[in-house]
Amino acid sequence: MTAYPRENSGEMAAFERIMSQCERRVFRVALRLLNNPQDAQDAAQEVFLRLYKHLGSLDETRGCEPWLYRVTVNVCHDIARGRRHSLGLAEVPELPAPQPDAYHDAERAQQREIVRRGLSCLGGKERAALVLRDVEGLSTREVAGILGSSENTVRSQISTARLKLRDFTGRLLRRRS
Amino acid sequence: MSCSKFETDIALYAGGDLPRARIARVEAHLAACADCRALAEDLRAEQALLGELRDSPLEDAMVAQVRQRVLVEVRRAGFSPRGALAPLLALAAALLLAVILIWPRHHSGAAPRAAAMSHAAPTVAPLIRKSRHHLRRMPAAQPGPPLLVQFVTDDPNIVIYWLIDQKPQGD
Repeated sequence: MTAYPRENSGEMAAFERIMSQCERRVFRVALRLLNNPQDAQDAAQEVFLRLYKHLGSLDETRGCEPWLYRVTVNVCHDIARGRRHSLGLAEVPELPAPQPDAYHDAERAQQREIVRRGLSCLGGKERAALVLRDVEGLSTREVAGILGSSENTVRSQISTARLKLRDFTGRLLRRRS
Repeated sequence: MSCSKFETDIALYAGGDLPRARIARVEAHLAACADCRALAEDLRAEQALLGELRDSPLEDAMVAQVRQRVLVEVRRAGFSPRGALAPLLALAAALLLAVILIWPRHHSGAAPRAAAMSHAAPTVAPLIRKSRHHLRRMPAAQPGPPLLVQFVTDDPNIVIYWLIDQKPQGD
C-alpha cells in the first residue's frame, strides 16, 4: 500500500490536488442526494474534512474515488435523516407548462427538472444506488462496493428506483397536461 | 407470464444491467408486447435524462465556497495549538507544575505540605479535606484553603490542575 504523504507540505499538496479533482463530483452527488444546495455544500465540506483526516490511511494506488463516494453517501444519509421524509407526489409543486414558442431546450430542461424532483421521492438507498449508477455512470459492481451491498441488492434497488421514477414522471406529466 | 413479472427485468434491461442469462427471455417478451416496449422506451428516455443531470452545469461559486470553507478549516486545524502545539504546551505546563511542586521542598523544608500536594488529583474535594485535617493539628498557624488553578487547553482530554497552598494566615 502506498499511502498519501503525511508530512505537512506534501499532505496539503496531495489534499488540494484530490479536492480540485473531485470537488465537483462530490458536490454533484450530494446535490442529487439531498436536493438542496446548502445541504449539499455542508455535506461536501464534511466529506473533504474527513478526507483530510484520513488521508494518511488511504491507499494512493487504489485512488480515493470509491472512498469519497462512500463517505458522501453516508454523510448525505446523516444529513437527510435529520430532515423531513422524502417528498410524495402530492407535495411536489407544479411546474409551469413551457411556453408554446419555447425552444426544444426549454422542454428538455423541464423534463430534466421533473426527473430531478422525482429523485427526491425515492427512498435513501434507492436514490443513492440510482444516482451512482445512472447519473454518475458507475458500474453495478462499483456501486455495490461503495454502498457495501451485494450486486443483486443493487440491481434490485436500481430496478425499483427506475420504475418508481418512471411512474412519478408519468403521473406528473399527465397531471400537467 | 403476465407483464408485471417482466417489469423488474425490463428496468434492468433498459439500463444494461440485466444478467446475460435473462436477456433472451426479456427480448422475446418485448417482441410480443407493445405495452412493455413502451415501458422500455420510457425507461431509456428516463436514463438519458438522468445522464444529462451529470452534465448539467453546477454553480462554480458554490463549489468554490465549499473549497474555501474546507481549506480555512484544515489550515486552522493544522496550525492551531490543538493540532500542532498542544503536546508542547502540555509538556511545558507539566514541567512548570513539577517545578512548583519541588520548589518548596528544597527551599523551606516543608515536607508534609509538599507530600500533600504530590497527591494532587483532578478533583478538589480530597485535597481540601487534607487541608482541614492539617488545620486541626496546627490551630495556631492556619493556612488558607489550597488555591486550585485549572488550565483548560484546546484539547478536551488535556486539563491541567495546579494546586497552590496559601501561606498560613498570621505569619
